[in-house]
Amino acid sequence: MNTATDPQVPPPALDLDEVSVAYGPAVALENIDGMVAPGEAVALIGPNGAGKSTLIKAILGLVPLAGGRITVLGRPPAAARRDVAYVPQADTLDPEFPISVGQVVLMGRYRRIGWLRRAKATDKEAARRALEQVGLADRARHRFGTLSGGQRQRVLLARAIAAEPRLLLLDEPFNGVDAVSEQALLDAIARLKQDGAAVVVSTHDLTLAHLACEEVCLLNRRQYGFGPTNATLTPHRLRATYGGHALELRGDRVIVAHS
Amino acid sequence: MNQILIEPFRFPFMARALAELAILGALAGTVGVLILLRRLAFMTDALTHTVFPGVVIGYLLSGEGGIFWGALIAGAATAVLLTLLTRHRAVTEDAALAVLLTTFFAVGVVLVSRESGYTADLTAFLFGRILTVTPAQLTQTLAVTALVIATMVILRRPLLARSFDPEGARASGYRIGLLDLATNTIVALVVVASVRAVGTVLVIALLIVPAAAARVVSDRLALIVPIAAVIGALAGWAGLAVSYDASIHHGLRLASGGTVVLVLIACHLIALAAGMIRRRPRSVRRAA
Repeated sequence: MNTATDPQVPPPALDLDEVSVAYGPAVALENIDGMVAPGEAVALIGPNGAGKSTLIKAILGLVPLAGGRITVLGRPPAAARRDVAYVPQADTLDPEFPISVGQVVLMGRYRRIGWLRRAKATDKEAARRALEQVGLADRARHRFGTLSGGQRQRVLLARAIAAEPRLLLLDEPFNGVDAVSEQALLDAIARLKQDGAAVVVSTHDLTLAHLACEEVCLLNRRQYGFGPTNATLTPHRLRATYGGHALELRGDRVIVAHS
Repeated sequence: MNQILIEPFRFPFMARALAELAILGALAGTVGVLILLRRLAFMTDALTHTVFPGVVIGYLLSGEGGIFWGALIAGAATAVLLTLLTRHRAVTEDAALAVLLTTFFAVGVVLVSRESGYTADLTAFLFGRILTVTPAQLTQTLAVTALVIATMVILRRPLLARSFDPEGARASGYRIGLLDLATNTIVALVVVASVRAVGTVLVIALLIVPAAAARVVSDRLALIVPIAAVIGALAGWAGLAVSYDASIHHGLRLASGGTVVLVLIACHLIALAAGMIRRRPRSVRRAA
């Protein structure tokens, strides 16, 4: 059935159909399968090198697929970029870059503003509101690099919010983030979901997966589970996903040791 | 003061030299900010060397007038080559650039050495001939300036997004390869436009120093760009005036290109001092 042409039934925000990605002869991801509905969040969970970032890049249409198909909002990934926002890890960006927090957030509006036009009042208002949603409205004029790591991550989320995405992709947003910023990120993600956006978050943190996401996808090259968070994050599946890095606690809990 | 800064430019050749240097200084200062943001200083250095054989070949084929076009072809070829080379991570950027740089430069030197007026020509190619700028040359410079500035205005948002966050820019649909080609071409064009006036060696100073000085003085891009342009233009003016005055009134022959660079370096040192004074209170607060 082609849901994309039926105005009554919205297409899933993200549909992964037997997705495989290879870098040359090395297989990075094999047969990933799953669906994310609008307003839902899924956590991508797995060890370093499991292919979480690769899957995010594939959803953005930045790496070619070796097999299968990805459908974003009923369209091929490259055709859906206008409605997709990506939040990179803040510590990958140059803290010396001469750019203000407000300018970073306004970048989320660039595709709407176009090339030559000046930013309209609505664009500036959207950027201001986005910054407010991550609790940093008073920092708009500060230089991006002067903020803490957690605050920079919030600014990048605000940039994504300003783009008014229907699918939001976050790459390890909670890494090295303080408790205040973590809560601000969780709140902002919850609000985006309420507004009908779907969210994909890659994370090591099982607690945060429980807090932010109703679904999880367990990944380590191949898929070790995709489904509701509580039912999927079982000790058995986590051990399978993490191999030797998972330790059992009191029979029913698992902690994951990072190498 | 008037006598040093205004008087010399009553002569038409000095007025043309001033116009050429002021335009080039402002243009190079502006493009320099892009180089600074993209951390392309080394690539720019490589470009100034790879343009050199183009300059020589252009000159050998059709004299003074051929220099611009020879440089343009070499510059365009380098811009494309660099974009392709740096796209594939297999060759690290440094090594690729170093190989390209020395190869092209050696070709230029070998070609020049076959000429009879070897050292005079070499000097002119390396350090430029600012005092013999022709009206036609000035027109070319203006055309390149208009083209480069228009391109930068049109591409300002994609260029900023790509410089700040390449992955994010790619994710939002910008064509990074094309943007990088545009950037390399812009830098190549400025090098080409500057080559006859200030030479392949000194153009690097015009491209790097004003932007670096402006960055020290300000954190805001909206200020860094005009400051860099003004520093570039003023250094051109002051350098030319000082070298003229020293040569005519004090019997001290100062090469104008070199004097311009020294004025630029002085500007940078002043900016560094100003930056240190400006930043001091903040670092004290941070430590507290």
